[in-house]
Amino acid sequence: MRDPYSILVAGVGGQGNLVCGRIIAEAAVLQGLRPVVGDTFGASRRGGSVMTHIRIGKQDWGPLIPKGEVDVLLGFEPVEALRAAVKYAGERTVAIVSKMAIPPSNVTSGDLRYPAISDIAQGLESVCRSVHMLDTEQVLEDMGSTRVLNSFMIGALSSIEDVPLDSKNLRKAISNVLESEKDLAAFQKGAKAL
Amino acid sequence: MSKSKADVIMSGNEAIARGAVEAGIGFCASYPGTPSTEILTSLFETASKTDSHVEWSSNEKVAMESAAAASWAGIPALCSMKSLGLNVASDFLLNLNLSGTGKGGLVIVVCDDPKGHSSSNEQDSRFYAKAAQIPLFEPSTYQEAKDTVVEGLRLSKKYEIPVLIRSTTRLSHSRGLVTIGKVSAKPLKAGVLQERLYNVPAPHLRHRDLLGKIEKIAEEFERSPFNIEADITNMKLLLISSGISSSYVREALHSIPSHRIGHLSLVTSFPLPKKTIINLLKRTDRVLFIEENDPFIEDEVRGLSAELEGVPHFYGKRSGHIPSYGEMNTDIVSTRLQQLTGQQMIKTTKKESHVSDLLIERPLTFCAGCTHRNFYWAVRTVKKRLGGKLVVAGDIGCYSLGVFYDEAMDTMQAMGSGVGVGSGLGQLHRYGFDSKVVSVAGDSTFFHACLPGLINARHKNADLTFVILDNATTAMTGFQVHPGSSEQEDSLRRVRVEGLVKAVEPDFFSLGDATDIKSLTDLLHSTVQKEGLKILLLDSVCRLEEVKRIPGFVGATPVHIDRDLCKGEKCKICARDFGCPGLSWDQETNYPIVLDHVCVRCGACISVCPHDAIVEGE
Ligand code: SF4
Ligand code: SF4
Repeated sequence: MRDPYSILVAGVGGQGNLVCGRIIAEAAVLQGLRPVVGDTFGASRRGGSVMTHIRIGKQDWGPLIPKGEVDVLLGFEPVEALRAAVKYAGERTVAIVSKMAIPPSNVTSGDLRYPAISDIAQGLESVCRSVHMLDTEQVLEDMGSTRVLNSFMIGALSSIEDVPLDSKNLRKAISNVLESEKDLAAFQKGAKAL
Repeated sequence: MSKSKADVIMSGNEAIARGAVEAGIGFCASYPGTPSTEILTSLFETASKTDSHVEWSSNEKVAMESAAAASWAGIPALCSMKSLGLNVASDFLLNLNLSGTGKGGLVIVVCDDPKGHSSSNEQDSRFYAKAAQIPLFEPSTYQEAKDTVVEGLRLSKKYEIPVLIRSTTRLSHSRGLVTIGKVSAKPLKAGVLQERLYNVPAPHLRHRDLLGKIEKIAEEFERSPFNIEADITNMKLLLISSGISSSYVREALHSIPSHRIGHLSLVTSFPLPKKTIINLLKRTDRVLFIEENDPFIEDEVRGLSAELEGVPHFYGKRSGHIPSYGEMNTDIVSTRLQQLTGQQMIKTTKKESHVSDLLIERPLTFCAGCTHRNFYWAVRTVKKRLGGKLVVAGDIGCYSLGVFYDEAMDTMQAMGSGVGVGSGLGQLHRYGFDSKVVSVAGDSTFFHACLPGLINARHKNADLTFVILDNATTAMTGFQVHPGSSEQEDSLRRVRVEGLVKAVEPDFFSLGDATDIKSLTDLLHSTVQKEGLKILLLDSVCRLEEVKRIPGFVGATPVHIDRDLCKGEKCKICARDFGCPGLSWDQETNYPIVLDHVCVRCGACISVCPHDAIVEGE
């Protein structure tokens, strides 16, 4: 495996990135690896941008991913995914991004327009190796809950070839942390999403 | 915290708390503040099992005083705080260092916030260790975060000296594996206080004794296993780092091919282990310093090197090779290493992007239905009515966001400084200062630091309206209990803001309802026009705390937009100016819409629309 393997989760306060980091860290431990998870949650309660840096390896790595060294970017929100990618993505980065937008207050106020998703996807493509834009809104509606976004995204992560975490361990970590049947179903859906 | 054998995933803060439990600390006191809060939150979780005392004190100085008292009585104590909190406690600390901490032992933890992610400055609190001449630890890993608490307590007990542990945001708020040890099972019993727990009449002699202690501690630090040297034979360059910066150095060294770079990960950064460092300096002619935030170690080492015959070349913040502000990261270390060694890193290249116009900002806002927004809306309205002649002296809390809300807040510095600044502004009439003065504080901040300012304002007859936004919780940091909280544990007794402020006998006092913008605006307007010291205590609601208390809670006043009355794009007052996230501008129709999944049905926006187009009902 690549050591460290670096996963960056980007989203908006309240979306549950912190839980996502927790689950992946737990799976890494189950896998016999050492996780380091760096959270930025200073503003999470006030609807600001939130990023979680996850490093997985045989030793402890720094809590911030160096620029360009992201292996997988999990974007929980399109603009936030792009913001994170511009700062941290590189030649190796596979971006998995939920298309569901959370408009910031300068958009809801009518001052700005939220950029077109296709433009964001193009922007991501210019800085990443590959980009998967996922139609999460439909899937989550079908499942009757938007709260399972975490598990869905982790499912998608599990289907990436060089991820050093077994699906078995990811599933186990989800049940340890979230204890919900719905989440496991969302994980399965996510695993087939790419 | 989840388990794998004896290794547990912990944040730096949780590890510090665990260290306290393993060290057998029996008295923990703190005031909440990011990024330090979780230390005490974790200790609250274990308190009943370990039968220890854990409290949110009314401020950091009181926390340190209480913890020192416990230590004097023989009970090992810990107090934790954020960077700015240590400023509040420093008056006591710079006396306690001389008085000594008695038999119990006292560990002080300070969490600095480089870049000010959640702070109004990015101060380096390590200078307090130097000012107070007390030992300082800077753990670089989660494991060290735990272990330095145990070692710190040992040292504190042995030398009867307060010990400072300094973390920064990235250590406190990141997590990794920690090998845990046994929980101390030593029963604790308070003893009698020793004599002369004060520094007079000869504080200089106490100072002399303190310096003696610190010399012995420096000796111990020469042998400290926390300071780790790597690759120091034949080195062409030595890196000296501390705290989480050491983990960035270790990572950067991994991707550089040369092996002739030595590294000292320094955890005991005050007093410096001089001999260890001099020995290393003799073996290299170049040294690079990596630390957050100020050149603390760099300056100390530069001072030391005056004793050397051949002084190495120093690179760091003083030489401009490392940025003097902001956070450290691996990239900064790598860039300097490449430059100093002339070697390329093994690194993936980053593609350049040209998408910056898509990156719309995400400004922080008050939550949907937050009554602080209502208050600032009232301020804005009253300010307009007074032709702009109204200034707001602010304070620290969620309501600090008022500085972003059309700049409704004019000043914002320290906890409690709103009323202090107001006390000054309210006495400037003789110089022609003719704006009405409003000072703002939240309830937790009120207890923390507002009383001296308020008393001064009363005593000096300052012309001032002091507004307390009372939502009965410490909302900013996650709803910690404070003396005025409406719900208290059985052992605690509530102290009411109302009783306290009435005791200073203001010229005018009124309660107000912050959920009702109309009455709130009129109350504020009539109050600021009165003379003397006016106090408004506003019943406010934290919507986050509300749903935490009553899951799924929404109010009784749903709203919708009547498009026959709404002026649409010509107006936009509700979405653009008032800006509750529950309202959104619909670009397609050019009318506002209510976002049902965000709106908490408080009804506040009804009175904001000048055309009565926001109406009650689904
Ligand atoms: S404030 Fe009233 S009139 Fe103006 S846009 Fe909003 S709903 Fe329409
Ligand atoms: S009723 Fe109006 S002010 Fe209250 S939360 Fe809903 S949109 Fe916001």
